[in-house]
Amino acid sequence: MRLVRPGDMVVFVLAAGLVGASYAYFWGPRAEGDTAVISVGHRPVAEISLLEDATVPVEGLIGDSVLQVEGGRIRFIDSPCPGRYCIHMGWIDRTGEVAACLPNGVVVEIRGGHREFDAINL
Amino acid sequence: MRVGADSRRCLALCAAAFLFLLTSACDRDQTESRYRFTAMGTLVEITIFDFPSAAADAAAVQVESLFLDLQQRWDPWADGALGQVNEVVSSGGTGIPDDDLADLLSRASRISRDSGGAFDPAVGALVRLWGFYDAEAMPDRPPSPGAIQETLDRNLPLTRLWDEDARVLTGHEGTTIDLGAFAKGEAVDRAIALLEGLGVSDAIVNAGGDLRAIGRHGDRPWRIGVREPRDAGVLAAIEVTGDESVFTSGDYERYFEFEGRRYHHVLDPRTGYPTLGLSSVTVIGHDAASTDAASTALMVAGPQHWPTVASALDLRQVMVVENDGSIQMSRDMRPRVKLLRDKPPEVMIRDIP
Repeated sequence: MRLVRPGDMVVFVLAAGLVGASYAYFWGPRAEGDTAVISVGHRPVAEISLLEDATVPVEGLIGDSVLQVEGGRIRFIDSPCPGRYCIHMGWIDRTGEVAACLPNGVVVEIRGGHREFDAINL
Repeated sequence: MRVGADSRRCLALCAAAFLFLLTSACDRDQTESRYRFTAMGTLVEITIFDFPSAAADAAAVQVESLFLDLQQRWDPWADGALGQVNEVVSSGGTGIPDDDLADLLSRASRISRDSGGAFDPAVGALVRLWGFYDAEAMPDRPPSPGAIQETLDRNLPLTRLWDEDARVLTGHEGTTIDLGAFAKGEAVDRAIALLEGLGVSDAIVNAGGDLRAIGRHGDRPWRIGVREPRDAGVLAAIEVTGDESVFTSGDYERYFEFEGRRYHHVLDPRTGYPTLGLSSVTVIGHDAASTDAASTALMVAGPQHWPTVASALDLRQVMVVENDGSIQMSRDMRPRVKLLRDKPPEVMIRDIP
């Protein structure tokens, strides 16, 4: 009689899958997102990876905003708005975090990871 | 291939458990609706949980209309209800606001009185002098000390201008009422009331980071992150259930720098200059309007005196971050806050009298 039969192997594989899924479910994946969705005037125009450093120009309602991606984070580094609040916002990297240049209509939202917070108090 | 009976049972159990995990994960995503729009100079996000998605979207659209209507009515410088009253009052005439605005002024005046003037909406002229009156204006230098003093000398506080019994504003040349963040908080309150009237019981109305939450997120509380005032990232996590507002006032978003010094938009009505000592104040309260006004008042009160003002405003849950990053909390706030800094900071507990 064989010690391990093919059917048992199926059970082992499924059990291993269950352990992995349980781990992901109960302990959660990282809160940092993998991508950023860029919208202009609330219409999504691009989804960019946060895994590769880059400088990304975005044509907004009154001019070009410039986004910088570095080390899995993203921020505004230039925008045609007078107030510069979008630049003051600084880096964002957590899923669901949003940075926006309202005069230029450019909104950036982190996606792809586990949403740690339902809202961020600013 | 022959699979033993035990193995088959185990296989079935594993498959069922796996499917349960997958479907429960999907359910969590499917029952949350998010809707975003711009109003009152900020990004407003409506999150609704466990409500049919089409109805949730329709409700959020109604909230957007509400915000845009209130924005027009309460803009100090436009031609809505408040703008018209301001025009009369600032040229010396008697302002007679409509009932809705009168109620708002009465409540704002009471908070102003209770805070000892730390919160005062009659600072419109000062806000304009500094250049913070437009959400997207960018001053390049502070006003001269003489201009600030002149504005202070000319200004009267709301408590002296507003007659709550007669419901009129005394005219006073150059005076402008700017309800500012108090109006934004009131809009959040009315949005929550609107959603509740439509049958929504689990939602967050988040106006640029200042929010009121009702109900919960399914089988868990709502999770709110509080921003770190100096560095990027999240300083703290707060869980909210039932019906609570979480508001943070800070010096880190709307500011300009001149000759190496930072000038932010929260002005002290008594000195005429931006508040000193605190980088941020977070308050958990019930209604959004008074919580909003309270967070501003505590910024003005500063690192020494905030517990006294908190007591006068009947607040129990407050966290403040000083300019050097150190943290103070009220005794009732401490168990509500999970700090997320890599090196857990020491927290000074202050008793609110």
